[in-house]
Amino acid sequence: MAHVELKSVTKTYPNGAVAVNDLNLEIATGEFLCVLGPSGCGKSSTLRMIAGLEEISHGQILIDGQNVVGKPARERDIAMVFENYALYPHLNVFNNVAMPLVARRTDKQEINDRVTRIAEMLDITEHLEKRPGKLSGGQRQRVSLARAMIRRPAMFLMDEPLGHLEEYLRIELRREIRALHESTGGTTCYITHDQQEAAAVSDRIAVMSAGELQQVGTMHDLINKPVNRFVAEFVGETPISILEDVSFADGRLTIGDYAIGLNEQAAAACAATPPATVGIRPADFVLGDADATGLSAVAESVQPMGETAIVLCKTACGPATVLLDQVDLPSEGESVRLAVDPDNLHLFGPDGLNIMYQGS
Amino acid sequence: MSAATLSDTGAVHRFRFGDYARYLGAAVFVGFCLFPFYMIVSTSVKPESDIFSFPPSWVFDITFENYHSALFVFGGSGVLPFLINSIIITAASTVLAVGLGSMAAYGLTRFKVVAGDHLFFFILSTRFAPPVAFIVPLYLMMQRFGLLDTHFALVAIYTSMNLSLVVWVIRGFFEAIPIEIEEAAQIDGYSRWQIFTKVALPLVKPGLITTSILSAILAWNEFLIATVITQSSSATLPVYLSSFSGSMGLEWGPYMAVGVMGVLPIMIFTLVLQRHLVRGLTFGAVR
Repeated sequence: MAHVELKSVTKTYPNGAVAVNDLNLEIATGEFLCVLGPSGCGKSSTLRMIAGLEEISHGQILIDGQNVVGKPARERDIAMVFENYALYPHLNVFNNVAMPLVARRTDKQEINDRVTRIAEMLDITEHLEKRPGKLSGGQRQRVSLARAMIRRPAMFLMDEPLGHLEEYLRIELRREIRALHESTGGTTCYITHDQQEAAAVSDRIAVMSAGELQQVGTMHDLINKPVNRFVAEFVGETPISILEDVSFADGRLTIGDYAIGLNEQAAAACAATPPATVGIRPADFVLGDADATGLSAVAESVQPMGETAIVLCKTACGPATVLLDQVDLPSEGESVRLAVDPDNLHLFGPDGLNIMYQGS
Repeated sequence: MSAATLSDTGAVHRFRFGDYARYLGAAVFVGFCLFPFYMIVSTSVKPESDIFSFPPSWVFDITFENYHSALFVFGGSGVLPFLINSIIITAASTVLAVGLGSMAAYGLTRFKVVAGDHLFFFILSTRFAPPVAFIVPLYLMMQRFGLLDTHFALVAIYTSMNLSLVVWVIRGFFEAIPIEIEEAAQIDGYSRWQIFTKVALPLVKPGLITTSILSAILAWNEFLIATVITQSSSATLPVYLSSFSGSMGLEWGPYMAVGVMGVLPIMIFTLVLQRHLVRGLTFGAVR
């Protein structure tokens, strides 16, 4: 179990590309933290720097208060699970799992006991004599998890461990990874680009983009309290709608032809700095017919998705995505009005990038 | 073989004229390649009277007389000391070339080496010149060092000749190992040297075997340098063989017997190693 702290960590590659820029992040003891971001955002570099596989250009990495920069990977008391499993192809499953113990000269009898126990936990007992080449992807990742857990390290690092697996296996293994984390109580740092996965396994999520940390929080925080436009747009299963042509006067916010009365706090914030755009989550829209109050819009396409449906609308302020229950759907081409509760508005400041006010 | 056989697709494939022609061509080629070898083996067990009979006698009494004189009589000491020289020199130079070469290849693959690509090309370029161009300088070097007619001289020369081949072939094998496997080993607690010996080397086994065979064949067969550098006590089998043609003419029977004994060790070595050439060992390592 370890407490990990990254202090202004920067990674610059020899060609000048900055993979990670001034990253400050803390992972509490026993916490399961996900680093979420699109590909190339620097999340893998971050993990590899914690692991000691990649040199750090600037800053400090503290594990339990000790700066580990410069220490080789094997002295950091970590275990890692790779996206492509990285099993030893010339060894059978037993020896793959036993490797961290063998490398540390553990007693033979103890190796046997521990491999047997962990193999049972991960349901790979029947494969112990096989080589990795004979296993399916899901089985291989189980072996790789077993290898990571055999030694009870201070910290688990997982680099998109479910990336190559099929959907049903992912959901199953997510649950197992979470359960394993709870049973070992280790600190875990988990990399993924899949927000559902991040929400399913983690305690907190750190969102990265272009080498910079955007926001750290629970999925609920990220959805309801994004700090900037990147987080607002990146997080959320159905994308947020960003509407332009926003103005503020006399305590009322006008979006196109729709005026909303704001509460005192919001009005005060808007009076200080006028908002440039407004973000509205798809589920927060209230759809009315053409003569109701709201932003006038035309339903361009209606996509039923089982219990809900996504309606893509065209408005004078830009496209809007609306999530509705599967009742009273508008027909395609129908004129509608889009209303919204003022508490659900995410107002972006003059630069259009940072949140200046959002309801609770 | 029957005239009709199943092809890959499971359909019955009828032999056509073209197929027969191809097999015939292949048979002629194989015969052409193996005929000299047949002559060596058959001559080595023929009585002296049958060796020069014309047309060649296909049926004859098998005798091991020639082997006896090759082993104990010929050249005073027989073939054994030279056979042993060849085995020592070949084994030592092969082990050294493959050992050092794989280390160099690993270093060039996994570490940032200053001007690594140029170094890599330089290693290959040592093989550009024909060996005969080096003969005189090599002779002078060995003479100054007092190494003429020593095992060490030939081991050193063959090792350096084989190194470039080993480095080039093995580097390709090392490059094919997914880096994550070595990173996993790093995290699992292995040092660089342990990763090399316990993870990387086992994964490039096919390359080690291939280069071992090629290096051993080169060292075993090499005549030009051996005949200049070694005279008697360290002479290898090819040098000994060449000594047969003397003023008293060639004794074909014992000569062929030595030839057979010269082919057998390297043949056995190759066949044994080749059985361990498992293709696609790294298959299934990732994904």
